[in-house]
Amino acid sequence: MMKSSFFASASALCLGLVLSLGAGSQANAAANCIKGDRKAPYTIGWANIYSVPTWMKQTQGTIEAEVETLKKQGLVDKLVVTDAQGDANVQIQQIQSMIDSNVDAIILIAGSSTAPARVLADACAKGIAIINFDSLVDTDKVTAKVNTDSSQWGDQAAKFLIDAIGGKGKILILNGPAGVSVSDDRRKGADAELKAHPDVTVLAETNTPYNVAPAQEAVTSLLFANPEIDGILSLGGALSAGAVLALDKQGREQVPITGENARQFLELWKEKGLKSWATMQPNWLGAFAAYTAVQALEGKDVPAFIKIPLPVIDNSNIDEYLARAKDFPADGYIFSPYDEELFKKLLAQK
Amino acid sequence: MNTPLSATQGRALYWPIQMRRNVGVRSLFAVVLVFLVAYGLLFPGLFTASGFAKFTQSWFPLALVAMAQAILMLTGGISLAIGATVSLGAVIAATTMAGPLGVAGGCVAVALTGLGIGAATGFIVVRLRLPAIVVTLAGSFIIGGAALLILPRPGGAVPAWLSDLLAGNTPAAFVLLVLIVALWKLYLATPLGLSLYAAGENPVGAYRSGVPVDGARIAAYAISGLLSTGAGLFVAAQTGSGDPVIGAAFTLNSIAAAVLGGIGFLGGQGTMRGALAGSLLLSLMISVMFFLGFTPVAQYVAQGLIIIGAVAIPQFRKVQQ
Repeated sequence: MMKSSFFASASALCLGLVLSLGAGSQANAAANCIKGDRKAPYTIGWANIYSVPTWMKQTQGTIEAEVETLKKQGLVDKLVVTDAQGDANVQIQQIQSMIDSNVDAIILIAGSSTAPARVLADACAKGIAIINFDSLVDTDKVTAKVNTDSSQWGDQAAKFLIDAIGGKGKILILNGPAGVSVSDDRRKGADAELKAHPDVTVLAETNTPYNVAPAQEAVTSLLFANPEIDGILSLGGALSAGAVLALDKQGREQVPITGENARQFLELWKEKGLKSWATMQPNWLGAFAAYTAVQALEGKDVPAFIKIPLPVIDNSNIDEYLARAKDFPADGYIFSPYDEELFKKLLAQK
Repeated sequence: MNTPLSATQGRALYWPIQMRRNVGVRSLFAVVLVFLVAYGLLFPGLFTASGFAKFTQSWFPLALVAMAQAILMLTGGISLAIGATVSLGAVIAATTMAGPLGVAGGCVAVALTGLGIGAATGFIVVRLRLPAIVVTLAGSFIIGGAALLILPRPGGAVPAWLSDLLAGNTPAAFVLLVLIVALWKLYLATPLGLSLYAAGENPVGAYRSGVPVDGARIAAYAISGLLSTGAGLFVAAQTGSGDPVIGAAFTLNSIAAAVLGGIGFLGGQGTMRGALAGSLLLSLMISVMFFLGFTPVAQYVAQGLIIIGAVAIPQFRKVQQ
């Protein structure tokens, strides 16, 4: 039933977007921004906001691999990569340079949810395919936006944990940094489940960067203060790894915990024999964005918003993930497998 | 005193003095020129009205914050709050201009905020004799926090016509910059402006000669605040909205531009044209390296090398002499 409500809301959202697009009086089936005057092979611009974190490097890896595939098919001849080093103003300037050099497609993770809107509108007016994924911009002047649902993330994590502790008990909540929309949205998503179960007591919440060391430190001090903890609702993979390490160092028994596909957490999960649940922001969103851009340029209809269902890792399939661990960096994320079939299915969903 | 003879002598002296002031930054000017030519060759669209407009728009806010930092460094001060002040200017513009205050009211609010913050910072630094670096670091948290209070998440709006006017396809930003530089030249001719270099180079000597040292320094902070919130207003117009952390990178970039432009940390050394050239180089590098097809990693290395080169070449010459 949860799935059907998810599809209902997703289709309602898509319908709304399709209607709003229809208001732009586009008679043909071409995707937004596409004028049909650009011919393969295409040049793709990848406007990265910050290339240093491991997650970003892995994402770029999937983009490069996808571009290699598209090159073999004769659809792409060049990938241009920029790195704004975290500065939203620089990202705008780099997108402007991409427009000036007349790339055919721009894929981006936005450094600000508002700032790139005007430069993207300029790009859209020039018929450049724009696929915005992960961190999104509040504008409809793009070909498509691609993302998972952070609020659903929080909701599913809370469901698992409350179920795992039998509907009652004392829990800790570990959040990412305060004031960051992803971290806020995941936490808000957990609210409904927590309210529906008054027997679940939240002992304390933490806000730390998505890194192991600060999370471990924060949980360690909470362990001293709370001798009895039944579960940990962690909304980030490195946070979960930090919590498991903190429990371990104190000689405390491990409790049910939620998490994310961070390799370190998955390995601890197996090592300590935890009962756990994890989801992910798949790195292949980058590859999918490159694929979608080319599909749009080829004249295929592309939905304005493509919601990526959250892949779930639990005790039934964690071994499949760990079997592939050696292919991923030690501080990286073991993402779910992907192929062109999956991409086609995601694009076909309405 | 006011004989025609001394007037012509004054004119004859003006250019040689200006040339002497360029000595330290000649190599920087040469590097900037090389980059400009390279950019023009790589991207011929630069010479169209809209190409030139877009390029100057990317440079404009950095040019303003470089000036804001340079004024302070000329008086022997510094500010670590410039980025936060830019953010505050942007969120005030994005929250007031679409409301009852309108664009004019919004501009006034932005200007008064900048002047007020600058004057208050200047007063604390100069009159209470506290280190500028500490006061402005603390100030950056307060100002950044205020920006987040006004606009907790990116949002707000700037009227579309203002965005199109300032950051559309016309070189309005460049015209504004020329005006601001002209105003700076005028300011240097006023008593407070004349005191600026003296107050930075040798405050005690200047004070004993009757120069209003404290006034000059507080005025410098106020102008610096005004330029910073002005840069924020422009960023808001350029992006069509407000973002409470959009200015963060401007603090370091403003210092980099000023230092690159030959402004010394000890006060009284350097020229505004140097700081402007420094900011232009920082902005040009981003676009030129894109068109040269540098990978991001190569860009990090090349940026560092160019900056060290531009700063070190004049030093080598000095050592050789």
